[in-house]
Amino acid sequence: MKKIIYPVAAAIILAGSAFTAITVPSWTIADGYSISFSSDDASGIFKGFKGSIAFDEQNPAASKFDVTIDVTTINTGNGLQNKHAKSDEWFDVAKYPQIHFTSKQISKTAAGYQVTGDLEIHGVKKETSIPFTFKKTGTGGVFAGTFTINRNDFHVGKPGGDVAEQIKLNVSVPVTK
Amino acid sequence: MFKKALLLGIVSGLLAGVAGIIYARVYHSSLGADFSKVAPTLNIIASSLFGGVLAAIGFWLLDRILKDKGEIVFNLLFSIISFATLLAPFAVKLPLDLEAPELFPGMVIPMHFFPALAWFTLKPLFIKK
Repeated sequence: MKKIIYPVAAAIILAGSAFTAITVPSWTIADGYSISFSSDDASGIFKGFKGSIAFDEQNPAASKFDVTIDVTTINTGNGLQNKHAKSDEWFDVAKYPQIHFTSKQISKTAAGYQVTGDLEIHGVKKETSIPFTFKKTGTGGVFAGTFTINRNDFHVGKPGGDVAEQIKLNVSVPVTK
Repeated sequence: MFKKALLLGIVSGLLAGVAGIIYARVYHSSLGADFSKVAPTLNIIASSLFGGVLAAIGFWLLDRILKDKGEIVFNLLFSIISFATLLAPFAVKLPLDLEAPELFPGMVIPMHFFPALAWFTLKPLFIKK
């Protein structure tokens, strides 16, 4: 019996260390990213975006996204609309200056990938799934995704009104290693 | 009369355009807000000239229709219309790559009064009653 213990222990340690040796490559967010939103009535962009991205095409399950959008950098192209969007009636940037997304699970799909995680807007956290693609470009790559959220889920603005409740988001993030 | 009014409209429009360009340059250098992409020099001149010529046609028409009271009504209308056009800069949606769109009305609103200002200033030189 004693003869078996050491080889088994060695095998377990070897196997364990092999798993810990798997590292997911980290990506740095490059300039030229675009975080835009649109609906029938309102559209614009967020200019501030940062975070950490660890992503492996071959091992999406081990990948991890943790990104934030600076809501104070919202630009609708109209000064009055910008002021309105930042006010307590909408994003309330004084209280909630960031939109935060943390991934919980990333999986491969037929069209690309899907990340599921906690999306926090206006102080309200909600589990959200975002389909995305990743295209390698030399030493870098580009993440791109389009999805729709209901602003009422995050208590942004009042239900109904002039601005549509379904807001489409387009995300394009070039990254480098 | 129409010839004098038209000449006044063209000259006051051009003068308003020049004043607009100078104001835009001063605004850009003092506040750093560059809106030359949406309000280039040619557009400022052209829109000021358009305002001046439109004023000339309006002045001539009102003078013909209302005779002595034409000028009073014209002056009132020119001021009111210039004032009413201030809504446009507040409502306009600029390209999203332009920084600080909230500074845009501050640049173009004074320009909306330049054609009227130039007209009222130059009118005694062109039309004497």
